[in-house]
Amino acid sequence: MSPVLVILAAISAILAITMLFAKNPITSAMCLLGVLIMTAGMYGMIGEHLVATIQLVVYAGAIMVLFIFSIMLLNLNTEETDYKDKPMVFAGALALGVAAFAGIGTAIWNHFQAGEVVTKGQFSAEVVKNLGGNTKVLSHSLFTQYFVSFEVISLALLVAVVGAVVLAKRKFD
Amino acid sequence: MDFETIFPFAQLAAKIAFVVGLALGVVPIMVWFERRGAAWMQGRVGPNRVGPFGLLQPLADVIKFFHKEDFTPRNANKFYYYLAPMMALIAPLCAMSVIPFGSHIVVEGKTVVLQIAEMDAGVLFILAFAGLEVYPIILAGWASRNKYSVLGALRGSSQIVSYEISMGLSLLSMLIVYGSVNPHDMVAWQSENWWGFLMNPFGALVFWISIFAETNRLPFDLPEGESELVAGYHLEYGAMKFALFFMAEYVAMIMASALISTLFFGGYGILPGMQMLIDMIVNHFGFSAVGAQNTLAAFQVLSLVSKVAFFMFMFVWVRWTLPRFRFDQLMDLGWKILFPLSLINLVVVTLAVYYFNS
Repeated sequence: MSPVLVILAAISAILAITMLFAKNPITSAMCLLGVLIMTAGMYGMIGEHLVATIQLVVYAGAIMVLFIFSIMLLNLNTEETDYKDKPMVFAGALALGVAAFAGIGTAIWNHFQAGEVVTKGQFSAEVVKNLGGNTKVLSHSLFTQYFVSFEVISLALLVAVVGAVVLAKRKFD
Repeated sequence: MDFETIFPFAQLAAKIAFVVGLALGVVPIMVWFERRGAAWMQGRVGPNRVGPFGLLQPLADVIKFFHKEDFTPRNANKFYYYLAPMMALIAPLCAMSVIPFGSHIVVEGKTVVLQIAEMDAGVLFILAFAGLEVYPIILAGWASRNKYSVLGALRGSSQIVSYEISMGLSLLSMLIVYGSVNPHDMVAWQSENWWGFLMNPFGALVFWISIFAETNRLPFDLPEGESELVAGYHLEYGAMKFALFFMAEYVAMIMASALISTLFFGGYGILPGMQMLIDMIVNHFGFSAVGAQNTLAAFQVLSLVSKVAFFMFMFVWVRWTLPRFRFDQLMDLGWKILFPLSLINLVVVTLAVYYFNS
């Protein structure tokens, strides 16, 4: 593993912990942004430049802007819900978090125990390189083999947009 | 450390130093030109006291910036207040890493591609950093705790987010024409055929208008409209913190000019007539193939720099020609004119490419 990858992972872990414990919502949002950028950096370090770019365009460039916009406009200054009086909720969340962490940790541990990286399916690193890089291969399979599912997902997103507009309009009328 | 190990790092460091040095070194010259050009277009004299033709004026400005009081507003959120100007400069400088400024040179028998990051995603990477340019504006406006700053930040971010769509769509139409996201392929395509703006004039126009909004330049500089918002999102910033925002604006302009040159105006492809000059130099000095390639690369860098200089001049020219828009006019232009236009253009270009390729 390259040392840069380790540094990026360490920074993103610190940012993630800061995100959880920050009092100010803007700090949480900015830490989440930092985690997303660091993740993009990690994708870039393992040579997946397209995934890194998409990560920056979609999550860092669009979704997080929306988050920060709404935090600023709603003027959420401090966390309103106090979880001190709700030990059951806190314990449940903690148990779920520990379970998820244990599951992911086991998967990663098994992966490292296996030694070499095994790519399932036909697109191994050499095949992708011979076909002209990730961008080309991904776009090609997206617009040929997975064309229908791609369009169905776009339709679902369109439905969500129209639904949001209808709901917002009813409230304002 | 032998030569083989050190060479990749050395060439990368040299390229980064060249690009960053050029981008930041052009800023004082542009500041001088902006003021002298403004005076020239308005029939005034402009700064002419410090040095010949006022050329040392930017130096005096820098000394002034360094000596001003480093003031922080009492109610500002300190951390984000200091973070915003730093972020402002990072995004455009990072985006610059994907723009090629020449084909390649040969040093000690090794090929050095004149582009900092040769990546698979190519030009799409620039869109990623164009999206990140919103954060410094939002953060600066929010952290300053000033009504004018917040209004400027809201205007700036909504304007950048809106015009990013038409910018992305016109970029997409060019990707369809070139059939590649690699900037080297784009330049090669344009050298063999025509410059991109002849193939796709509406795309070029929409892109060109959009970069004015993306870089917050007049006629779209509403985030900092002096007559309404004093100075907009950087109102509470003084001394070098303001200078960082100022530099970021110019670096973003250089980045946008380099991007539009690469996409629509042949990139580093040599200007007409230069080939004769290169042949003359190569024959005169009797260069080998390596020397000829390096001469060609030097002229390619010169071509890109002159194209970028032309677009920088256009930025100044438009600034002192057109008055500022109203904010609703700006949004109408973005959403009701440029967005449908770029969408229709995309469909037309797609059909044309399909027709000509089959």
